[in-house]
Amino acid sequence: MSAVAGGAEAPDLVCQLDSVQGMVDALSSVRWKRHQDAVIELSEHGIVLIVEETGCLQAKVYLKRELFLLYEYAAEGRPRFGLSLGLFVDCLNTFSAPGHSTVIEIRYPGPDMQLLLKSMDSPDACTYAEIRTRIPDTISWDYHFEPTGNVPVTFTVRSAVLKEAIEDLEWPGSSVQIRIQPDPPSVTFKAEGHGDLQIDFEYYSNNDLLVAFQCDRILSYRYKYKFLKATTSNLPSSVMKDNRGSKLTIGMGGMLKIQHLVTVLRTVGQHAFNDSVQQPGRIAYIEFFLRPEEDETPIGDE
Amino acid sequence: MKFKAFLTQDGVNLLDKRFLPSLDKIGRVCHLYLTRDHAIFLHNLLGGDGIQSVAQFKKEVLFNDYRISSQNEDRIAFAIDVSLLHRALRSAQTIQLQSQDDTAAIQIKLVKKLPVGSLNPAPFLTFETKGLRSAVVQDVPISKPLSRADVVQLQTALDAAQDLPQTLVQVPDLSQLQNLVERLRNVGELLMLAITQYGDLHLQVSTSLITVGSEFRRLKVLGIQADAPSGDQNLSAPTRTEMAIQRGEALSVQVSLKHLAKSLQCHLAKPDCAFYGISPQGVCLTVIFQFFIPGTRLTDKSISFHCRLPVLDTGSN
Repeated sequence: MSAVAGGAEAPDLVCQLDSVQGMVDALSSVRWKRHQDAVIELSEHGIVLIVEETGCLQAKVYLKRELFLLYEYAAEGRPRFGLSLGLFVDCLNTFSAPGHSTVIEIRYPGPDMQLLLKSMDSPDACTYAEIRTRIPDTISWDYHFEPTGNVPVTFTVRSAVLKEAIEDLEWPGSSVQIRIQPDPPSVTFKAEGHGDLQIDFEYYSNNDLLVAFQCDRILSYRYKYKFLKATTSNLPSSVMKDNRGSKLTIGMGGMLKIQHLVTVLRTVGQHAFNDSVQQPGRIAYIEFFLRPEEDETPIGDE
Repeated sequence: MKFKAFLTQDGVNLLDKRFLPSLDKIGRVCHLYLTRDHAIFLHNLLGGDGIQSVAQFKKEVLFNDYRISSQNEDRIAFAIDVSLLHRALRSAQTIQLQSQDDTAAIQIKLVKKLPVGSLNPAPFLTFETKGLRSAVVQDVPISKPLSRADVVQLQTALDAAQDLPQTLVQVPDLSQLQNLVERLRNVGELLMLAITQYGDLHLQVSTSLITVGSEFRRLKVLGIQADAPSGDQNLSAPTRTEMAIQRGEALSVQVSLKHLAKSLQCHLAKPDCAFYGISPQGVCLTVIFQFFIPGTRLTDKSISFHCRLPVLDTGSN
């Protein structure tokens, strides 16, 4: 599968990236605790990073090959390796200096199956890193997502609004009920615990609130608050600044899929291009899969 | 034992805007050592395993009408809280500004006073600001002046701290280095730092899971220097450093990243350039800050400032 260690064969992947900060932003958004193991999967289409909380929550960051200046993929199959997400992000951070645009090269595998990084800017100042990788565990839980019925039940809300709503739901207690209904088209977040709090998103009341809405029947599931919070707690500020939307879809068995878009802008000199139109497609896709609590019979599952 | 002097305007500015903020970051308490010619701020020279720092001023830089006398060759030393000293200086400066009067100079002197609610007199460094309409006195508590033996020990430590490393490299951009070091602190606690006679500075943090390093090449070298072997640009930074150490053209030490970050806070004193060097036998890492005479590129010999970082493991030795 992968190149022979130290051999003459080309490494599985050599890629170059000019937006270290964007990559840090994208990876940080799935970093919900300090010590977190991640699995990285390489393919000809790009890099996918997967983290999970056993059996409850899984997150994926898709860095497609178009985000890279150079993407040379030479592996057969899809090499996978595990590493510490925290270390990877902290390490990438050492490459990003404010006010400097840095091009880094990422290479896998090194002679001892490490992930190798180095800065490419100047012959007189070079930063490098070697991160130990490990053989990943087999996937502990299948997060296979299947839509319910013919019409997927889904809605899109401003990421900033979603984040704020989830933060507001913190005080009542440990689980949050998400209820979506077609008539009148609306979504309700409700938490009961030390007190009750209900947040309604009504499709017709405010055009800016629910950007898109699609639902043909009532669905209602409960999700653990701490996992729901993890899906928005570390969204980078650029997501709010760019006024991005987050798409939530409820699938078979109440599996909740939350998708965010994180801009991975190239920094030019001192300033990042704030206008993402100038650099279309420079987006990392973030996906969270959240399994519902199983304490009660949910509505809507036949 | 007597000491009194008037602070010069330059002295007030130097201390207030540059040196006291920087010294405060190195450690809350320092020694102030006054001699016939110099005023010296010292951190950790009498024991302590922290970073040592020496900021020395010719008396004319800070003071007018400088009078000192003691039975120990007119030398006085005591410990003082840097932030209290800074607060007293700033408030004296405010009063001076408010009085709008040229004669409102700030006088400092050593006094013994009875603190409120105490029966024993205690030593203070007193700031007196006299204007035409007001006079304000601020007392900064200090330690008992050091004994004759302690002053001798302090002077010995100070003399020993003047030893220069054989090779010094100039750090191009202190704030860039500070930024790097702050980020490296997330990765580990120990840092390997190597300096070659070719002008390379190599920093590396290594744990069982990760190695992160940064190398700055072709820096200005003071002292013993050598030409870099040809063809070494194709090697990796760790290999290059390793080979230089084997040839005896480099030294490496391990220091605490916390200490290095503290020493970089010295950029608050706005030095014009900074040099790093490893003392022979790798006893410590020395950082020397240089100040230019304003408007020139000539070294201002009346101010000197350097730090010595304790070495945790003598790397190449």
